[in-house]
Amino acid sequence: MSIIRYEQTQGKSLGFYALVAGLGAFILAALGSVYFMEHNGHHVTGMSNRIVWGMPHVFALFLIVAASGALNIASIASVFNKKVYKPLSRLSGLVALALLAGGLMVLVLDLGRPDRLIVAMTEYNFNSIFAWNIILYNGFFVIVGVYLWMMFERRMNKYSRSVGIAAFTWRLILTTGTGSIFGFLVARQAYDAVIMAPMFVIMSFAFGLAFFILVLMASYKWTARPLGDATVNRLSNLLGVFVAAVLYFVAVYHLGNLYLAENSGVENFILLDGGIYTKLFWYGQIILGSLVPLALLYSPATKGNRSMLGLASVLIILGGLIQLYVIIIGGQAYPMELFPGKEILEGYGTIASYTPTLPELMLGLGGVAVAIIAITYLVKFLPFLPESLADDVVDPHHKK
Amino acid sequence: MEKTINRRDFIKTTTATTAGVATLATGITLTTFVNANENPVTNEKRWGMLIDTNRLTETDIDGMVGACQKEHGWGSDKLSTGDQKASWIKKLKVKDTATGRISNLALMCQHCEEPPCVDVCPTNASMKREDGIVLVDKHLCIGCRYCMMACPYEARSFVHEELTDQKEHMPRGKGTVESCTMCVHKVDKGEQPACVASVNSDAVIFGDLYDSSSKINQTLKKVQSTQIRADLNLNTAVRYSGI
Amino acid sequence: MNRWIILFFSLIMTGAFAHGQKTHSLGDEAHSIKDSGKTYHESISVIRKMHPEFLNHKRDKTLREGVRTEEYSLKGCVTCHATKKDNSNDYHPVNSEGQFCSTCHKKVATSVDCFSCHRTTPAQGAK
Ligand code: SF4
Ligand code: SF4
Repeated sequence: MSIIRYEQTQGKSLGFYALVAGLGAFILAALGSVYFMEHNGHHVTGMSNRIVWGMPHVFALFLIVAASGALNIASIASVFNKKVYKPLSRLSGLVALALLAGGLMVLVLDLGRPDRLIVAMTEYNFNSIFAWNIILYNGFFVIVGVYLWMMFERRMNKYSRSVGIAAFTWRLILTTGTGSIFGFLVARQAYDAVIMAPMFVIMSFAFGLAFFILVLMASYKWTARPLGDATVNRLSNLLGVFVAAVLYFVAVYHLGNLYLAENSGVENFILLDGGIYTKLFWYGQIILGSLVPLALLYSPATKGNRSMLGLASVLIILGGLIQLYVIIIGGQAYPMELFPGKEILEGYGTIASYTPTLPELMLGLGGVAVAIIAITYLVKFLPFLPESLADDVVDPHHKK
Repeated sequence: MEKTINRRDFIKTTTATTAGVATLATGITLTTFVNANENPVTNEKRWGMLIDTNRLTETDIDGMVGACQKEHGWGSDKLSTGDQKASWIKKLKVKDTATGRISNLALMCQHCEEPPCVDVCPTNASMKREDGIVLVDKHLCIGCRYCMMACPYEARSFVHEELTDQKEHMPRGKGTVESCTMCVHKVDKGEQPACVASVNSDAVIFGDLYDSSSKINQTLKKVQSTQIRADLNLNTAVRYSGI
Repeated sequence: MNRWIILFFSLIMTGAFAHGQKTHSLGDEAHSIKDSGKTYHESISVIRKMHPEFLNHKRDKTLREGVRTEEYSLKGCVTCHATKKDNSNDYHPVNSEGQFCSTCHKKVATSVDCFSCHRTTPAQGAK
């Protein structure tokens, strides 16, 4: 393998400034939304005492989950010693950090009292999985930060493998922790499944990689650096495997729930008669977010086509957001079983309604924008991107 | 639970009635000025409530809801709509699908002994007092609403708008979570919760679940009662009979 | 931790400002206590510097342990330090412009978080 040379991007082109301006506009809109929501109180949102977590949580959890998935590439390179992925490690760490920052921003700004962030950082209830998650998120920043440093500093390179393993373990725990936020809600039937946590791990693989691929292809295209098929096709195959795995876990999750009689109510709701949630599940999550991308990735007509890979990645991200929407909002909309064997005629037991408002959506998109802008700037200031990822650079034995 | 009255306990019980000078049975006069509860509550007591749905009328329930609103000042939210409005206690009408029998009941925070809301709260804002009353410490609440996700009874409300003119004993504010306090400010003074006091019959009784001489303890021994979602093993302090 | 930062700043700030300050509105009841020559607080400088600490300590005692003594209860502060509006039976909120809490807090630029939840005037019918 030849020496990989990393170099900053120039970041002086018109395109660069246009990108930054566009993202900046989104971030400003998000900040405006936050001010609006916090100043007035959450009554200006679609959230209520029944749908307590709304659109911002969909985005926040998506970004957090994707963050840990984006680290995968680096992990494959260092933990499993796959040389081809090595040049991508730095970017992988960066995308992971950026996504996590975006996700946490959304999560924090949707709190009822974001001004009390200091309380969340100083008062810990160690029984709470949420508190553990705060520690896991902070730790992720530190560990990935150190990992990047080991990769950047030549004399530290020798440690990068062990730190890489630590980071890999940490991220698995982190996603399990995020999934467990739901696993602990025993009374909510939609979340009453052990498979929730591993499903989140697999989801993170798919969402994180889709995001990574988009960042990679866009940055190489816009900076006119060579990006060979050896790299792209491998990533594309990997993405297909992950998407299929998510699909498998979703199937197991729903079949398992159907099997448990006490959860069949909520299953019917999501799968058959839940109105918007049923539609989102089948058309959004399953068809648009899983089957179409799989077809794009594997069918001979589109396989190896970069635009199609990009499209597939976008669809996977959209499908992922929809999947989290169905899990988070759909799971809350369906009422909890208060009196098994009895019917509640009045006072409780209807399907809760939720209409997301524009500020909620803008806050969520703002989180995505923060992640992208962070990547855009950091690749400009630090050498994250190899100057070339042409096939012969990445893998000299590559056969044409 | 076996209990012997010692001086501490004595002060504790008398403080409730604002005793300036109290005379002990033995004739010793206790002249310490005790204005209010000086001692922390202990786990020798566990406050609870028994709601008899056979005797509780729909008017009673409306009265309970009204009394709670009046006591704590919720329910007049100006800007919140629909499910955003605070709701500490709800009226429920439940029909048994097998027998067709209908019962009416009031549902509020059940003051679980193993409260999921407390387990999940990241900042210790959701907390349980030694005597079993579950509260939100709004000084620490960051408004993450995880407790609302965790409560099996949807007993909690999030304050969706700015509030003014709160009750002196019941601070409430935008961006924090709140729920039934079992009228802790009254209970600490030796009074009954507002909802209990509003019902004229014995359909709702309040008292110390541990005290074998208390009415609630004795009634629970006699009648058949249930906990809502007993399968979750939360050991609630609010019990129901007749459903 | 942040508690100590607040304490630290309030110590500095009170040193700088508190003594030259006479114009803030003391509150009706506090005024009459002062005019009668009595004192309520053992030491004015201590209560000025330490009141956040006292209040924080008391709030935990009351809320978490059910200790409901009057000393350092926020209710007590508001009752004494609120001023009635002219020609009216209503009070100015203690945290409003020019009132007891806000005068100093504005000077030292520390926000008062109490009144995002607590009542800002004595209860209706109380004194
Ligand atoms: S009923 Fe809900 S709010 Fe009340 S203690 Fe139980 S879990 Fe907590
Ligand atoms: S909303 Fe407040 S009380 Fe509820 S879990 Fe979050 S911090 Fe705790």
